[in-house]
Amino acid sequence: MEAPPVSVLPITGGTINMMEYLLQGSVLDQALESLLHRLRGLCDNMEPETFADHELVYLLKGQQGNPFLLRARRSLSHPTVPWHLRYLGQPEVGDKSRHALVRNCVDVATSHSLPDFLNEMGFRMDHEFVAKGHIFRRGVLKVVVSKLSRILVPGNTENTEPLSLSYLVELSVLAPAGQDTMSEDMRSFAEQLKPLVHLEKIDPKRHM
Amino acid sequence: MSGSGPAVRVSIESSCEKQVQEVSLDGMETYVPPLSMSQNLAKLAQRIDFGQGSDSDEEGVETEPRDPQEWGKQEPEEDEVKFQPSLWPWDSVRNNLRSSLTEMCVLYDVLSVVKEKKYMALDPVSQDPSTPQVFQLISKKKSLATAAQLLLKGADKLSKSVAENQENRRQRDFNSELLRLRSQWKLRKVGDKILGDLSYRSAGSLFPHAGTFEVIKNTDIDLDKKLPEDYCPLNVQIPSDLEGSAYIKVSIQKQAPDIGDLGTVSLFRRQPKAKAGTQPWHVKLEAAQNVLLCKEIFAQLSREAVQIKSQIPHIVVKNQIISQPFPGLQLSISLCHSTGEKKNQRASPEKPKPDDHLYVLEHNLHQLMREFHKQTLSSIVMPHPASAPFGHKRQRMAGPMAYDKAEISNLQQNEGLLEKIIKQAKHIFLRSRSIQLQLNIGVEQIRVVHRDGRVITLSHQEQELQDFLLSQMSQHQVHAVQQLAKVMGWHVLSFSNHVGLGSVESIGNASAITVASSNGEYAISVRNGPESGCKVLVQFPRSQSKELPKSDVIQDGKWNHLRGPYKEVHWSKMEGRNFVYKMELLMAALTPCP
Repeated sequence: MEAPPVSVLPITGGTINMMEYLLQGSVLDQALESLLHRLRGLCDNMEPETFADHELVYLLKGQQGNPFLLRARRSLSHPTVPWHLRYLGQPEVGDKSRHALVRNCVDVATSHSLPDFLNEMGFRMDHEFVAKGHIFRRGVLKVVVSKLSRILVPGNTENTEPLSLSYLVELSVLAPAGQDTMSEDMRSFAEQLKPLVHLEKIDPKRHM
Repeated sequence: MSGSGPAVRVSIESSCEKQVQEVSLDGMETYVPPLSMSQNLAKLAQRIDFGQGSDSDEEGVETEPRDPQEWGKQEPEEDEVKFQPSLWPWDSVRNNLRSSLTEMCVLYDVLSVVKEKKYMALDPVSQDPSTPQVFQLISKKKSLATAAQLLLKGADKLSKSVAENQENRRQRDFNSELLRLRSQWKLRKVGDKILGDLSYRSAGSLFPHAGTFEVIKNTDIDLDKKLPEDYCPLNVQIPSDLEGSAYIKVSIQKQAPDIGDLGTVSLFRRQPKAKAGTQPWHVKLEAAQNVLLCKEIFAQLSREAVQIKSQIPHIVVKNQIISQPFPGLQLSISLCHSTGEKKNQRASPEKPKPDDHLYVLEHNLHQLMREFHKQTLSSIVMPHPASAPFGHKRQRMAGPMAYDKAEISNLQQNEGLLEKIIKQAKHIFLRSRSIQLQLNIGVEQIRVVHRDGRVITLSHQEQELQDFLLSQMSQHQVHAVQQLAKVMGWHVLSFSNHVGLGSVESIGNASAITVASSNGEYAISVRNGPESGCKVLVQFPRSQSKELPKSDVIQDGKWNHLRGPYKEVHWSKMEGRNFVYKMELLMAALTPCP
């Protein structure tokens, strides 16, 4: 059955429109220890938290335009915790002086039947990967240091191979739309992490 | 010399060593072959100076007188070749031999003369006596001692100067002070300024105040003058709104204050003196941190006071929050912040009542706020999977598990800071009203500490505790009558905790009290026992009792005002919720209207 035509409407909900502010960078495997050490000092004083997640990316191919993309993520280390469904909009092309990538973000916690549900809705899984690493927080700032691995056999998360010899570092904040003070805080935090890692605004469009 | 003594044969042998021409690779030496006879002749012939013919007679004459020594080796040449004496190869040998012969002869002569001892005598050379060991030791010791002293003096000087430097450094050095500051406070360098963070942000607070302070070098010292005792090379500059010191005053008052008095709480308690060893910057920073925490607590409380709906609304005025936990009881929480300037410290109109301020609740407020801070740092907030937003684990379950409104509201932090404090204030108030008994429940026994200091140990038998509590209750009721009498204006005529009259109680003792009304007309006697219950009797004036027979003895009418017989009160039928209410009603009924 052909997928019904999908017109991509802007996501509006009954709740506040949340925006995600993002800065990304990477470090080589050898530099991981020093980066973790630095982050432990700069971030909130908590026990270091590791995570292991499995992310599936679903696409809904409409007849026109870009396909609609949804990300479903589950925790491998905490199997009973709900799945997390995420929609990320296009990056806002506001003023160039904004230091972080800003895009619309919708986060939903779902039950474990999410993949089946998405399949029924007409989504098809495009690719999946496993991410393992560490997560830190500083107030509302979230720093995720993750190693992405390719899944060799679809559905089998044990058999993976790393995609690269480096770790992806992401600094993100979730804030309601209109609050632009976040990017300044993010920039000053990113300054403190130099020269271990250079966090910058990476436009996904330009790399596709 | 020549001719004296026997001739001595001197044997001379040429070394006859052949010259090495070459050494082959295997070590064999190849010698230069000696000259053959003809070659030798040719060599010798070359030496002859044929230009000198018979003119060399003189030289020939000189060679004639041969030494008495004979040549051992005969040269193969028989021909007498005229040797040039200067070219004679044995010349040096002969001269050396001659000189040695001369020496030997002289020695022999000297020895023979000395042997006679007549003209020459041998005298031994005077030996210097070898310096005794001890002397050597002493001299060495002295020299070492001098050297050691010099070195010690130098080392002493060096160590003294180092110690002096350190002393100075410790007191004066900006960098060492900075190091000490850094060991206790968070510092970071921004440009050429040193900033610090004194907020509780890193401990989990979400208060938006930045709490940054600046570290500056104290350069107003005069090196010529002596440094003051409390000189510190480092100074901190704290934000202007955190200056001074603050505390949160929690107090319970019985009556509501006037409207005009609201928000004017400015009572101030004196700052505690800083410990001798602490640095001035530490005191300053700690005070500022305390002010920040008090501000955060007050902000949280006032936010809750405005948002939370309760039966009696809370009043928030300036720096004071007033709420009513019980009717007639008022709880006031105020933020007292003094900037420490002289002009603010004028004497407050009312004397500060020290027991008005509930320090326990103030402390609890601080603890609760810190507890809240810790909660934001707990790992239950960390998201799994990592892309999920921060938030409590259970809240994330609300979607998938389809919670309804009631369940979601249960999930929320049910009690805010304000409600908790109000609950605690209520508890304190109730506690101060009730019997002062303290039960220490141990492993084997229960220890009860009474208000008046008695300590009673009870065993594990529950009956014992029960009996004890019953006896306490009965005593308490009698005490309540005593208090009530004070309030109502009745006089206590007699009071006994352990009466010796009446039936013997199986548990404890009965207590009794007799109170008389203010005009003396009525009296109430109460006997309360744990087992026998409560017995209340009222004594009426003689004029009101009908049973009294008229007597001839009592003539005067004034005697009728005295109290007469007793009548028992049906206490169970008495109106009133509890003993105290009933007693109050009774007393009120018996108090005549003016």
